Amino acid sequence: MYRIIGKCWLLLSCAGLFFLADLLQAEDPAGSFFDSEVAPLLAARCAECHHEEEPEGKLNLLSQAPARKGGENGPALVPGNLRQSLLWQRVVADEMPPEDPLDKREKQILKKWIEDGARWGTDPVDRFRYTTDKRAGYDWWALQPFQPQKIPSPRRHRRVRNPIDAFLLSRLEEEGLSFSEDADPRTLVRRAYLDFHGLPPTPEDVEQFVADPSEEAYQQLLTDLLDSPRYGERWGRHWLDVVRFGESDGFERNNPRKNFWPYRDWVIEALNADMPYSEFVRMQVAGDVIKPDTAEGYAAVGFLVAAVHNTVVGGSEMMKRQSRADEIEELVGAIGQTFVGLTVNCARCHAHKFDPISQDEYYQLSAAVAGLNHGTREIQQPEQRQHAEQLEARRKEVATRLTAIRTRVREQILEKRKGTDPPAVDLPAPLASWEFEEDFQDSIGTLHGTPRGGAHLENGALVLDGKDDYVITAPITREITEKTLTALVQLDNLDQRGGGVISLETTGGGIFDAIVFGEREARHWMAGSNVFARTESFQGTEEKEVTGRPVHIAIVYRKDGTITGYRDGMLYGRSYKTGFQAFPADGASLLFGLRHSPAGNNKLLAGRVLQAQLFDRALDAEAVAAVSGDPQNYIPEKEIVAFLKGEQQAGYLELTQRQQELDEQISKASQAAKLVIYTNVPRSPAETFFLNRGDVMNRGELVGPGTIRAIAGLSGDLGLAMDAGDAERRLALADWLTSDQNALATRVIVNRLWHYHFGSGIVDTPSDFGFNGSRPTHPELLDWLSQQLRESEYRLKTLHRLVASSTAYRQSSRFRARSAEMDADNRLLWRKSPYRAEGEVIRDSILAVSGQLNDMAGGPGFEDVKIEPNNGTTYYKPFDMDDPSLNRRTIYRFSPRGERMALLDVFDCPDPSAAAPRRSPTTTPLQALSLLNNAFVLRMADHLAAKVKEEMGEAQVSKQVDRVFQLTLGRLAEKEEQEKAVALVEQHGLAILARTLFNTNEFLVIP
Amino acid sequence: MNRSLHRRTFCQWSLEGLGSIALLDLLRRDGLLGQEGALEGGLHHPPRVKRAIQICLVGGMSHVDSYDYKPELSKRQGKSLDTMVKPDIFFGKVGLLRGSDWEFRQRGESGLWISEMFPEIARRADMLTVIRSMVSDSANHTPALFVSNSGFQANGFPSLGSWLSFGLGSETESLPAYVVLPDGRGGPNGGASNWSSGFLPGEHQAVVLRGGDQPVRDLFPSTPISELAERESLSLLQHLNERHLAKNGQDQQLLARIQSYELAGRMQLSVPEVSDYSSEPESVREKYGLHDPVTEDMGRRCLLGRRLLQRGVRFVQLYSGGPIAGSPRASWDAHESVKDNHTLEAGKIDRPVAALLDDLQQRGMLKDTLVLFTTEFGRTPFAQSDADKVGPGRDHNRYGFSCWMAGGGLRPGIAFGETDEVGWKAVTDPVSWNDFHATIMHLFGVDHRKLTFYHNGIQRRLTNVAGDVVTGVLA
Repeated sequence: MYRIIGKCWLLLSCAGLFFLADLLQAEDPAGSFFDSEVAPLLAARCAECHHEEEPEGKLNLLSQAPARKGGENGPALVPGNLRQSLLWQRVVADEMPPEDPLDKREKQILKKWIEDGARWGTDPVDRFRYTTDKRAGYDWWALQPFQPQKIPSPRRHRRVRNPIDAFLLSRLEEEGLSFSEDADPRTLVRRAYLDFHGLPPTPEDVEQFVADPSEEAYQQLLTDLLDSPRYGERWGRHWLDVVRFGESDGFERNNPRKNFWPYRDWVIEALNADMPYSEFVRMQVAGDVIKPDTAEGYAAVGFLVAAVHNTVVGGSEMMKRQSRADEIEELVGAIGQTFVGLTVNCARCHAHKFDPISQDEYYQLSAAVAGLNHGTREIQQPEQRQHAEQLEARRKEVATRLTAIRTRVREQILEKRKGTDPPAVDLPAPLASWEFEEDFQDSIGTLHGTPRGGAHLENGALVLDGKDDYVITAPITREITEKTLTALVQLDNLDQRGGGVISLETTGGGIFDAIVFGEREARHWMAGSNVFARTESFQGTEEKEVTGRPVHIAIVYRKDGTITGYRDGMLYGRSYKTGFQAFPADGASLLFGLRHSPAGNNKLLAGRVLQAQLFDRALDAEAVAAVSGDPQNYIPEKEIVAFLKGEQQAGYLELTQRQQELDEQISKASQAAKLVIYTNVPRSPAETFFLNRGDVMNRGELVGPGTIRAIAGLSGDLGLAMDAGDAERRLALADWLTSDQNALATRVIVNRLWHYHFGSGIVDTPSDFGFNGSRPTHPELLDWLSQQLRESEYRLKTLHRLVASSTAYRQSSRFRARSAEMDADNRLLWRKSPYRAEGEVIRDSILAVSGQLNDMAGGPGFEDVKIEPNNGTTYYKPFDMDDPSLNRRTIYRFSPRGERMALLDVFDCPDPSAAAPRRSPTTTPLQALSLLNNAFVLRMADHLAAKVKEEMGEAQVSKQVDRVFQLTLGRLAEKEEQEKAVALVEQHGLAILARTLFNTNEFLVIP
Repeated sequence: MNRSLHRRTFCQWSLEGLGSIALLDLLRRDGLLGQEGALEGGLHHPPRVKRAIQICLVGGMSHVDSYDYKPELSKRQGKSLDTMVKPDIFFGKVGLLRGSDWEFRQRGESGLWISEMFPEIARRADMLTVIRSMVSDSANHTPALFVSNSGFQANGFPSLGSWLSFGLGSETESLPAYVVLPDGRGGPNGGASNWSSGFLPGEHQAVVLRGGDQPVRDLFPSTPISELAERESLSLLQHLNERHLAKNGQDQQLLARIQSYELAGRMQLSVPEVSDYSSEPESVREKYGLHDPVTEDMGRRCLLGRRLLQRGVRFVQLYSGGPIAGSPRASWDAHESVKDNHTLEAGKIDRPVAALLDDLQQRGMLKDTLVLFTTEFGRTPFAQSDADKVGPGRDHNRYGFSCWMAGGGLRPGIAFGETDEVGWKAVTDPVSWNDFHATIMHLFGVDHRKLTFYHNGIQRRLTNVAGDVVTGVLA
């Protein structure tokens, strides 16, 4: 097989090196001998070490002056004098290049050149210009523009359905091979369904096609398959593999990304809508620029932030730079590999070892994406918003009526109490308390504060200027789970937006819960949290008094995720339920006057904090009232209810009930009203520096935004100013990637489609078209297909149809020993390669044939893992449950980086931590065990049995058996099979037959 | 259901199947696509070991209290660390220097200094090769644990055990090559990512061996299936697969799938067999500490580890420590008090690990087995407290810490490398995780630079672009 591939490769790369003999004779006034013979030699055999960047022995052989000057060991090159030319001496002694001396011919060239005066031609030598046996140059096949392709005429022209077949068959015939016979219609329809939808056809689908397998019917079948939304669900999964889509951060915290599913949905929808591939790419690089302020735009650029993301960066400048540089490298790598099949990331520390990409170009591309920033965006959904507002108006009515009743009753009760002793109240004990009388100390424990900026004390209050004043305490010494934060606070002005009063944050501020003023809603209090993870509107009243007098604010956090606010001891608006966050011992501190670290922007509070407290439990309403400093006037709700009698009481209770219901509805509606999307929230691009040897502490010159220049006919210059904004940069990069001149980008996507249709690409390293990747088996076919795609305006569905219409796609997958001897891996496609279905397809197929597939499309993923936050890290524990909401297609599974169900795990679903442009399918006993014994599989077998029994009524067992065969394998049982199956079913029930069929090769292998 | 009967049935069925001809060969060939770079041409040099067991201490064991004797540190108790640069540490609280809370003594004939923290292991000092100059890239638990396993801080890279499985395969057909036994208190930070096969084919991922009826997940039906039903069901399966094969030709992939069911049957026999240590003599169980609730969890796992190695498993990894944080701590992360925490944690593992060393030696296995005792980083010589205090806890220290190895190919009874006089940073012969991994590979007869796997444009290897074999520890 290597022989076969090798041949076409030789033709591509080695032309033009055969005129040596002539040249050796001639005089060389213009340095043309140098350019044609010596320069490629220097580039290929010396430049790996003796290049311009940091040459070995300080000898740079790529430029005339330094080469003459020589390196550490003196002059390397003395024109006309071999004996004094150290270069020649080392070469002739076979010391250089080390381990791989020059051959006779190469030495001859060098000798002649030095003897003739070492005349230099083009200066400096571009070491990327030529492909050598060590690396690719600018003449590398993948970097060239398309050439018009002549469609070959194979001998067996009757097998040619379209030009794809002409290319493939003529290649096969060269090796004395041919296509296999066409697959039978039953196999073909099954193949097409599994390939296009990742689900088997229903028995009806099969029989319909078997009854009429005409060309028209087949074309109609393809139309139906491509028009179905199942297509995007299947092919979207392929794309998600390529772009390393995962729904948690990885690294230390591995926090879940609950709002990243819009990217997954966008991919599916874009594929279903047959969005031109060029637009598909543009949107993923710059969708938020192309369609600003749209859910679509924010979702699409999810590509940029799909990777793991380190949220615990470390404090030192070095650690910060390192982490940022790693993050940018990841993205540069993803863009290069995904869209143009080049591992640009390999040029971070030195020029690319194998492809013509300089370190400069790496940093230029880095600069183009220097605005990268992981974050979330919110999109308002106007209709939902309106609905929420209507509900809020209704709630306001109810609340007004309730308040009126309460005020009246309170007055009456207080009137009655007059003269009697106020009821005794046990003040709950805080874990820590700061009075700010004489110092910043915790008067109970050891959580003493340290002032920062100009924070100071005045008349028993902490005074904060809202610019850089705040107080930070010592780390908490035990884990805080449930908690209550309280503060007595007075503000300088009501128009500040986002200052924190008291905040509990993990070291560095990555995670926090805080009492915050005015951040999202002007003049309202809120429970601030990292990326609003636990923040919703309390729907509280607008603040009017807090500048005139101190107000007591308390926020209570319960373990079930309920968060409740209180103002002056009274419930503030409504409580809501969200996630829950624990804070680790030694890993978290309290802040006063700052929302979270680091200080800056709108996070600082202008005002005074008179007292603050932390409770390590969730206080109830009564306790909050007690600590709010006005226990005497506090009247518990139950006392109010008891005071009211008869109809009044019933009416009051009904109103409170109504209010609760409205609260819940508002909560749902306002969540629906704002779509939160995990996406790129670009920052203003920082200056990008060339880093010597990739060392973040060893900065070289400033580098402007650009991209690689290796693709023929395309400049690496994006026409951007040094200080261009982020939007401009990404837009320019998107344009470059999708330029009609970018033949490489087109080849890469064509090859990906081919790879998924045939199980192996024309280039079988789909994200690497460079020197380290594989060579194309059919370069002409790849180019022809690429041109077809370009002409169809990059409509992928057109290409799918073209491929699926070919004889190559429709041939039988039957094994033929003679052909296999010639081409064991079937790279020339003498048959259709059968391949074991992916884990997702196996799970989805089992669900579908059992009648249990929940076809709900889109939206937040189903969670079959229990998410367990544990002191700053997150565990994902798979669980199995008989729950229809978990029976959606696997692409809708919430997919964190961590453990997952056995069925997906053992069937080689890739770890979403790294891109998987090609899966590595294995066959292991664990797969057999999972399919035989896994609870999900056995449950589905039961469902399938029940479904068939219900469909068939009290039919004969043989009918039931046939139906199970039809559903799972798309055919009836053969005679002997049926006899055995009937015997099995009569003895042990129908479910055991279903389980058996789930384990057959016929079910698991896509034919 | 009678499980043992059931297993026999399965096995019987599978032996009636296509037979065990060139079984592994088929499986390997099936996975051939992913296997370029594997050791098809044999090992790079003669191996010194065939198998390894790693005891992985999660949270960060204090070296200055265990294997790195620092008399100067005790002398300077209460003084500040004399350095120009503020230590770059995790929580940023640099207290005063704190001497060891344990007494150190010279042990055995080698005279190796080991503290009283591990009295039993200390008695086997002459078997140990201690590296006192370990350094890591990260002082955060999860990335540091990932580095110790895979050489990389990020998720998604294959672990040492996966590389060994990929390169060397298993010596047994009926057990996985790489087995993990987590701490009874839960998985370590990062969970299954620690033993992930990353981009290597999925078969090289570790199999987690648990207790109970399903020592390996999905080993037996989750709801009972009668013996007869199982037999007839598998017989039908075989019939269907053979018919399918007849129609589709002798495709390797289809054959391999059929054979994998035979291997599954063998696993159903061998996994419960290896997990069931009731046949071990009372005296052995006693030695591993199975009778003491404190040592029972680790004792059981050390014993299982030995049983797995005996049966041809390539690499066994035992974790000491579950989730990092929490109160009380379930790991070695002794921020509050090293004395309290390490006394407890060492008490759980000292005797079982010592018993494992003895057992391997007595059985003649130690000469070609590697025992690794590692932790993701060490702890600071100064207390984690206010700058004027000597608190009882210590913070993370990635600049210098200790691990040890024992077994084939090593120079026993030595300590390699040094930290500075207080144990803050490695100063003589620092050993990175890349170096450590390179050394292990070397002992297995593998050149770490040559065992590679192509992934996304790079011939990846365990040691990235670094790693030198630590020849100073080799015999």
